[in-house]
Amino acid sequence: MASGFQTEERVPENMKKKLALAVRSIQWSYAIFWSISARQPGVLEWGDGFYNGDIKTRKTLQAVELNADQLGLQRSEQLRDLYESLSAGEASPQSRRPSVALTPEDLSDTEWYYLVCMSFVFNIGQGLPGRTLANGEPIWLCNAHLADSKVFSRSLLAKTLVCFPFLGGVVELGVTDLVLEDPGLIQHIRTSFLEIPYPASSSKKSLGAGITRNANTPTCALIDQDILVPHVGCEELDIVSLDNSSNGFEANPAAEASFMVDGMNGGASQVQSWQFMDDELSNCLHQSMNSSDCISQTFVEPGKAVSASKAVVVNDHCLQDLQKKNHTKLNLLDLRSDDLHYQCVLSSLLKSSHQLILGPCFRNYHHESSFVMWNSGGVAHFQNPGGKTPQKLLKKVLFTVPRMHVDVFPESPEDNGFKDGVWRPEADEISMNHALAERKRREKLNERFFILRSMVPSISKDDKVSILDDAIGYLKELERRVEVLQSCRESTEVEAGTIRKPQDTSERTSDNYGPNKINKSKKPLVNKRKACAFDETEPEMNYIVSKEGSNDNVTVSITHKDVLIEMRCPSKEGMLLEIMDTVSNLQLDCHSVQSSTVEGILSLTIKSKFKGSVVASAGIIKQALQRFARMF
Amino acid sequence: MEHSSHESLLKHPNSITYESPFPLYALAISHSPYRVAVGSFLETYNNRVDILSFDPDALTLKPHHPPLSFDHPYPPTKLMFHPSNPNLLASSGDFLRLWDLRDHSIEPLSVLNNSKSSDFCAPLTSFDWNEVEPRRIGTSSIDTTCTVWDIDKGVVETQLIAHDKEVYDIAWGEARVFASVSADGSVRIFDLRDKEHSTIIYESPQPDTPLLRLAWNKQDLRYMATILMDSNKVVILDIRSPTMPVAELERHAASVNAIAWAPQSSRHICSAGDDTQALIWELPTVAGPNGIDPMSMYSAGSEINQLQWSAAVPDWIAVAFSNKMQLLKV
Repeated sequence: MASGFQTEERVPENMKKKLALAVRSIQWSYAIFWSISARQPGVLEWGDGFYNGDIKTRKTLQAVELNADQLGLQRSEQLRDLYESLSAGEASPQSRRPSVALTPEDLSDTEWYYLVCMSFVFNIGQGLPGRTLANGEPIWLCNAHLADSKVFSRSLLAKTLVCFPFLGGVVELGVTDLVLEDPGLIQHIRTSFLEIPYPASSSKKSLGAGITRNANTPTCALIDQDILVPHVGCEELDIVSLDNSSNGFEANPAAEASFMVDGMNGGASQVQSWQFMDDELSNCLHQSMNSSDCISQTFVEPGKAVSASKAVVVNDHCLQDLQKKNHTKLNLLDLRSDDLHYQCVLSSLLKSSHQLILGPCFRNYHHESSFVMWNSGGVAHFQNPGGKTPQKLLKKVLFTVPRMHVDVFPESPEDNGFKDGVWRPEADEISMNHALAERKRREKLNERFFILRSMVPSISKDDKVSILDDAIGYLKELERRVEVLQSCRESTEVEAGTIRKPQDTSERTSDNYGPNKINKSKKPLVNKRKACAFDETEPEMNYIVSKEGSNDNVTVSITHKDVLIEMRCPSKEGMLLEIMDTVSNLQLDCHSVQSSTVEGILSLTIKSKFKGSVVASAGIIKQALQRFARMF
Repeated sequence: MEHSSHESLLKHPNSITYESPFPLYALAISHSPYRVAVGSFLETYNNRVDILSFDPDALTLKPHHPPLSFDHPYPPTKLMFHPSNPNLLASSGDFLRLWDLRDHSIEPLSVLNNSKSSDFCAPLTSFDWNEVEPRRIGTSSIDTTCTVWDIDKGVVETQLIAHDKEVYDIAWGEARVFASVSADGSVRIFDLRDKEHSTIIYESPQPDTPLLRLAWNKQDLRYMATILMDSNKVVILDIRSPTMPVAELERHAASVNAIAWAPQSSRHICSAGDDTQALIWELPTVAGPNGIDPMSMYSAGSEINQLQWSAAVPDWIAVAFSNKMQLLKV
């Protein structure tokens, strides 16, 4: 059976057999040789291994009966094959798994552990094998399952672990029992089994025999007193149960790893792949396994050394209902009691906040939840439901509602901005547009009436009809006044004789008559008749001023209820009174007025307060007052 | 007006419904005594915010007694309670307003208006209350700016021109860092210590596709989620890898309207949309080849417009659809 020895040149020949020998002699569970990876420098990866632990299902493919040693080797190779097939299967999810002797269900817990170990990769200096290699010294780890995951990350099964450097790599031996540290053992292993050149010519058959009987390998004699009678080479593999070994070596906590047991027995075992981001832990290949029923593939780029985080992936079989429960941060589900141990084991391993669990087949065990398990059946593809506007209400909240506020202010610059806004009404929103437009129209009308009311003095009632009536009357009055003024002006023009065109007048008189105008305009509130009797320069001045009317300033600033009005306008008799009248029509209570007249220009500063709840905007006030600058 | 609690208990053993006389949009849940503020959505001037009482033990959701409510000009675009004080509520609309919930009435506390000239105001699309520094509220506006208020003093801490177009949502990450999304299609992160610069961490693939909502994972500040206009995708972003989303959750059958990260788990997010479904997702670090499937789902009666997963009641998700508001047990 071909096994993928990628690093064959780095793995000494017959390593497997040597490992087999070594581990069987001391009756430990497994031996692994970690070698420097050919593909990735500075990284230890699986070189070879021998599994010597519990076997769940023995499969004999050949008619030939193999002896125990051969079975052991075969088993190890089968495990390796299985690993290969699973990782191959993961890489190309659609391809069929190459047929192997073993299927996942055949494996016991410890076999799974062994198999999982194949996926591990350690940087030099990290993990137990890595540190061993870095230090060059053996490391004996007791109670590995209780060790901090920084120290040992695979402590699910092993209780005692020994690593020692060997031939440029690291040999790791593990057992599920607790064995106290014994440096002598390491030495024995090293010398007895590994460094002695193995007689290559020996056949497999004689391997077993050789181990027991070969005097060159004083296995039995040299083993520590603590070890029970070694069943080296003679044992039936299926009674290499570690329960009887009181070695202080690592023990397979087969009983404790209930999660494994359950997973194995269950017909539809799910795959769980975890990833933890822990800088202490080393890079690792991930592995995904196919369950018998469903192929749930998880894909992680193998061996990718991400700079910030190094991920260690542990793949284990698990019941589907265990997948989520160990996430200690999630209080979503009730835990079943048999999950608790599992959770303890896991939480001791896994770092807190970066734990991830991929649970594609998660089952919602919380019966009280309003939510149900998601299924893809009902969900087809993304479709626009029957031409309705997608995200209708959300769009209204973001696009329409803000504009509702803004449109109340007629002079708002935002209006122009929004015409270029992003949201283009769609065909099916015309009805909404109509309602909107209608409302806007009504609001605009109301605003105009408000302004009109403020512009027209002596308005009695607030209803629209009265406003219009009063406005009509006011306009007539204004027309009459204009006529009067114009006749006054004509009469002065006639008197002057020379002046005909207003334009000429303004050009000629603009500079020369400046000082004169000042003198004359110091009487702003003169009787109206006097306005006609002003000399010929007056009308021109008025013309000049009215042309400059657009430059007259009206500034209105509102802070809460305080309104500050500053304006300049050509001063005229009765002007101040009319301004005050207008201001009070705008529901403003004036409490301070400062006025001065310079060069016929009336400068006014009014401080006022809004009378009641009705609040006119600055724009309205400004508009109402600007007519003073424009007219007359 | 409450949907009969018996009926709702029978239909969905653990969802509680409140039926309102008008359509609802804005939702907020406070800490104990678990008040729920619901804002109406009527396209007129007169809108309202009502306060309901939620009893998680008795599983009841009723209008507060004595009745607490206040009027709001046009629909409130967002409602949110103070991170720890259940008596303080903020609303956004034309301005940011703060309200004091007393035993028998709601008193307006302040109107936070930054307009220097009252010729116009800049209406707010959203805001977020800083959980680390609760005196800070960040608002987003259609005038392309984001404003950070110090509500204790009632003044503006800073106002930034955040985007080229209207800003639609804002979310705090830490005490001095916030992010915003805009009609210009970008997600930008701002740090108050360096107001001159912002970081674009994502831009919508079709240029100028507005991003409508944003949610920052408070349990794991590396992750944010956003939704695009007219899209059924929830885009998950990692702030350490700008421009490339770490995941696009694409299982809604229609466009998504709201997203909310789980308040107590860093890996879970809920989304709701026009397909009437609310989906809870669990994010792995590694996605399968076919994308990420949701963990669980809930089907409401009509398009779900609003979703809130409050830290005050982490076992319940609040949704709003048409004129109903429901609390769903997670």
